Amino acid sequence: MNGSFATAWYFAALLFFIGLYCMAASRNLLRQLIGLEVMSKGTLLALIASGSMSNLSLAQAVIITMIVIEVVVVAAGLTLLVKAYRTNGGVDVWKLSSLKG
Amino acid sequence: MIEYREFLYLAVTLCALAAVMSRNMLTAAISLAATSIGVALVLFDFRAPWAAVFELSVCAGLITVLFISAVSLLRKEEPFFAEDRTRFRLLPVFALIVAIGGWIAGWPFFEALADYARFGARGQSLGSMLWESRRMDLLGQIAMLAAGVLVINSVFAAKKAGK
Repeated sequence: MNGSFATAWYFAALLFFIGLYCMAASRNLLRQLIGLEVMSKGTLLALIASGSMSNLSLAQAVIITMIVIEVVVVAAGLTLLVKAYRTNGGVDVWKLSSLKG
Repeated sequence: MIEYREFLYLAVTLCALAAVMSRNMLTAAISLAATSIGVALVLFDFRAPWAAVFELSVCAGLITVLFISAVSLLRKEEPFFAEDRTRFRLLPVFALIVAIGGWIAGWPFFEALADYARFGARGQSLGSMLWESRRMDLLGQIAMLAAGVLVINSVFAAKKAGK
């Protein structure tokens, strides 16, 4: 049982690293959102593995909450991305300097 | 012999790598959808059908549609924004280093975590759990959805007012 849990956490950590690397390495806002999604998949795997050992209903409730928050974050992020593209003519985060003081 | 669940974990990781590394954004969005489908299958395998259905319909469905719409809106942008691909080509090497490091150093830590995960085991149905114990979560979900609608509405309303 511990082996199955550890396997899930191992792959969750790997997925989290891949998402984090994508967010850190890319300057493209869309790719950063993809990195965020990959990180959330890793978190989801860790949550379900923990839930399967303790309380699956609680894990499912938390996962459903997480998915709802995730979709709102992605929708808002993509809206801001389209807006930034129309304003600055690009999706490069280094070009988002309109709020610079 | 590789088991079904381990095969799913591998498939999810490979799809995530493809989503991060692909040059074309449309391919990245579709690989992300494949990652979500893999995670949904893992959830089904963990006997968590409600979470799996949410993952399948919302993450593999709705979020993919959102990404593809955004990509189609920014289609003209792509040729003009060539990123330095060297960092992404190095990702499999770094992922392999993390995988080997995690296998050697992280495994005992993950096994120790299993003892903590056993705390708080109480058998309740998902409905009673959501409505009785996690009522604040539902309120939070409604607040988040309202905030999301407000953000989208305000961003596009600002453009209209500007015109």
